[in-house]
Amino acid sequence: MWKNIYDWLDERLGLQSLYENLLDRPEPHGTWWNTLGSASLFLFVMQALTGIFLTVYYTPSPDHAYDSIQYIMNGVAFGWLIRGMHHWGATLMVLVVFIHMLRVFFSASYKYPRELTWMVGVMLFLLTLGMGFTGYLLPFNQRSYWATVVGTNIAGVVPGVGPFILKALRGGTDVSALTLSRFFSAHIWMLPAALAGLIGAHLYLIMRHGESAYPDADD
Amino acid sequence: MASSNRISRRNFVALMSAALGSIMGVVMGIPIVGYLIDPALKTESGEAWIPIGLLEDFPIGTPKSFSFTRSHVNGWEKTVNSYGGFVVRKSETQLLVLSSRCTHLSCSVNWEEARNEYVCPCHNAQFSMEGEVLGGPPPYPLDRYEANVEDGTIMIRFPAVRFDEVEG
Amino acid sequence: MNEEYKNKVNKKYEKNLQKGERFWPDSIYKDLLISFAIFILLIGLASFVGVHPEPKVDPTDATYVPRPEWYFLFLFEFLKYFPGELEWVGATVIPGILVAALLLLPFYDKNPYRFYTKRTFALGLMSFIVGGMVTLTIKAATVITGPMALALFALVWGTLFFALHKRPEQKTATRKSLLWLATIGIFAIIGTAYVQTAALAGDEEEAVVANTIAEKMALGQDLYSLQCVECHGADGEGGTITVTAADGTEELLPVKAINTKDEMYTRNDETLYNIIAYGQPSLGMTPFGGAYGGELSTSEIEYIVTYLRYTWDDRAEVPADAVSSSIPALAEGEVPSYEVHISAVTKRYCVSCHREGKENNNYIMDNYEDLLNGGDNAPNIVAGDMNSILLQVIQGNEVNGQTGLIHVMPPSGKPLKDEYIDMFIRWVEAGMPNTAADAAALSTAAPAE
Repeated sequence: MWKNIYDWLDERLGLQSLYENLLDRPEPHGTWWNTLGSASLFLFVMQALTGIFLTVYYTPSPDHAYDSIQYIMNGVAFGWLIRGMHHWGATLMVLVVFIHMLRVFFSASYKYPRELTWMVGVMLFLLTLGMGFTGYLLPFNQRSYWATVVGTNIAGVVPGVGPFILKALRGGTDVSALTLSRFFSAHIWMLPAALAGLIGAHLYLIMRHGESAYPDADD
Repeated sequence: MASSNRISRRNFVALMSAALGSIMGVVMGIPIVGYLIDPALKTESGEAWIPIGLLEDFPIGTPKSFSFTRSHVNGWEKTVNSYGGFVVRKSETQLLVLSSRCTHLSCSVNWEEARNEYVCPCHNAQFSMEGEVLGGPPPYPLDRYEANVEDGTIMIRFPAVRFDEVEG
Repeated sequence: MNEEYKNKVNKKYEKNLQKGERFWPDSIYKDLLISFAIFILLIGLASFVGVHPEPKVDPTDATYVPRPEWYFLFLFEFLKYFPGELEWVGATVIPGILVAALLLLPFYDKNPYRFYTKRTFALGLMSFIVGGMVTLTIKAATVITGPMALALFALVWGTLFFALHKRPEQKTATRKSLLWLATIGIFAIIGTAYVQTAALAGDEEEAVVANTIAEKMALGQDLYSLQCVECHGADGEGGTITVTAADGTEELLPVKAINTKDEMYTRNDETLYNIIAYGQPSLGMTPFGGAYGGELSTSEIEYIVTYLRYTWDDRAEVPADAVSSSIPALAEGEVPSYEVHISAVTKRYCVSCHREGKENNNYIMDNYEDLLNGGDNAPNIVAGDMNSILLQVIQGNEVNGQTGLIHVMPPSGKPLKDEYIDMFIRWVEAGMPNTAADAAALSTAAPAE
């Protein structure tokens, strides 16, 4: 019966050709360093999962943000686990994506024909940092509040347009409810959507050009 | 290249991915389910004895309403709810405290002196002075509060319970 | 880039594929294992390290030292090297250039070679930048000073360079071991610096963060005892206070009880919070909020409000794990100790006035030493002496001391509970032991007498 179900699905989805094209691909010999890309993807998925579940209780308002996080940590079963994994996942993701980028740089994998893969990758790295920055404010505790005050102030020092950028980032002159809700929106909608789209492009480019080979003395 | 060797390796990797995937699924899945249904698993205690007034202030023979408020923490938010009821004294010694929540859809019933019954404004349900259903959709009589008199003050036990769960 | 070059690259890649492996199943098992390891690591970090609790946001607290997330620390540190008017260069121009350089790398890096020995400039520059970032991060996050960090990193990167720089006479094994050495070196430096910093940070006083209502009540009670008991009484019963008007005249003002149903039903948490923060100057209550000249942070006021609400408001459902009294009860024949019992009583009933900066005949009661020997009328309490000043005044007897008449304590006129007076008497009788261990030794010795 399983065979029949599989055949029916295969006929419509093309599972066999998917398998041949996506999984059973030839590639050059790799090392353990080649796992960092998939590790970044794994971390992104974990962050998405734990993040989605955090929004069940988290409330993005200055009156409630801190208390709702405290409730997640102490009032809900396994809330500490979900939040802990999201917190540490952010740190690990920045680290893993950065090392992945360094690996690509040192093995010269960004050169022809993978220039676009590199550029998409750099954007993914910047978006990851953006996720870190916007996510940092959300618990709305002393540390996150003041870090955001300073972080947005940095953008405000540019001569001329600085004050404008500062107000656009904060949604006003102060770090306030407006800042919190726009950071929240960026953190759970805009940046993840951009990340997901670019991850798709990144993966497509990898499929198209294949994994890069480590250069030898002739290259 | 030995093809059988290849296939067994493939199977092994498939098995391993399935195993690791299941471990992660279970390790994440159970906490997530617990996390989502946790509020439904919390037992509401909130039991308390509440003074509602002096016994002498409540007349014999006709129900008199009373109300009190309780605050309750939902998550991190405090909600203050108001509760109402009727003290029914049929004689000097008999004391019955009813909740004013209609057992149909929790609207608040009123005592209609002229008709000698409680009437629910939502679906026109009627209850007798002791809370028995006289007409309308309610499935069972009005809830009751366990009551005591201490130093002339009526104390009721919050929350109200169904008519058939009152002791005595 | 010409066609010939492209052909050469593609041909070489084809060749690599020929002698390569297959994604499934040859290399995917590595990805699986690494992802699984990361998963375990995440669970471990969440379970055993957790998330550091931080106090609630307080925009009025200007003393707070802001710290960005660790991966922005290098930028934070970097900005220290720019004078005020040039800060925008360090904050936006240089990071902007770096980002653009990173993004457009394939377009200006025209070096056709890929093997690392033929890309010394690119690799050197990148190593320099990354090394700089790591150095700045470590310098900002730890106790290591700039020159120390620089020297260490020069050493590590030197070893790395020496290992990677290909010379024919150097064996692969030697190179590999050097690489490992450098890696271990990097981790050792980061680890040591981190441990040292953690040890230093442990000494600093940290704001206590309450997580549950019960914890908030406990902290709130302590704060109430310290800040509010002086005027409002230990149980909110009120009393009288002396207010000095602008013209120097003193006036006796009544303080109404705040533990009543009226108070609790007509003031919500926000109102209580505001009264504590702003004070009620016309009624003689000074502001307590940090922003208005008081000593309390927003969280601390919130803890006090929680304590008041759950102690005096009969509508509130007190959580099951709440501790009703911070003062442990004394068993039959047990000798009280300062550490466990007496300090709890003084903290709750006395320290509000008997601390620095209050009018109290210089009798400070918040530590063992001063409790025994401090004050203008010292000693206020003598081991075994039932006529000790302290014992007399808490039992309602005024005493003539060096400074004149010593009034009954507490001054509100509402005496301490009998069990606490008894606690003091038994403590003085037993010789005023400091620690719980001393007291335990005395209680076991007692029956032998």
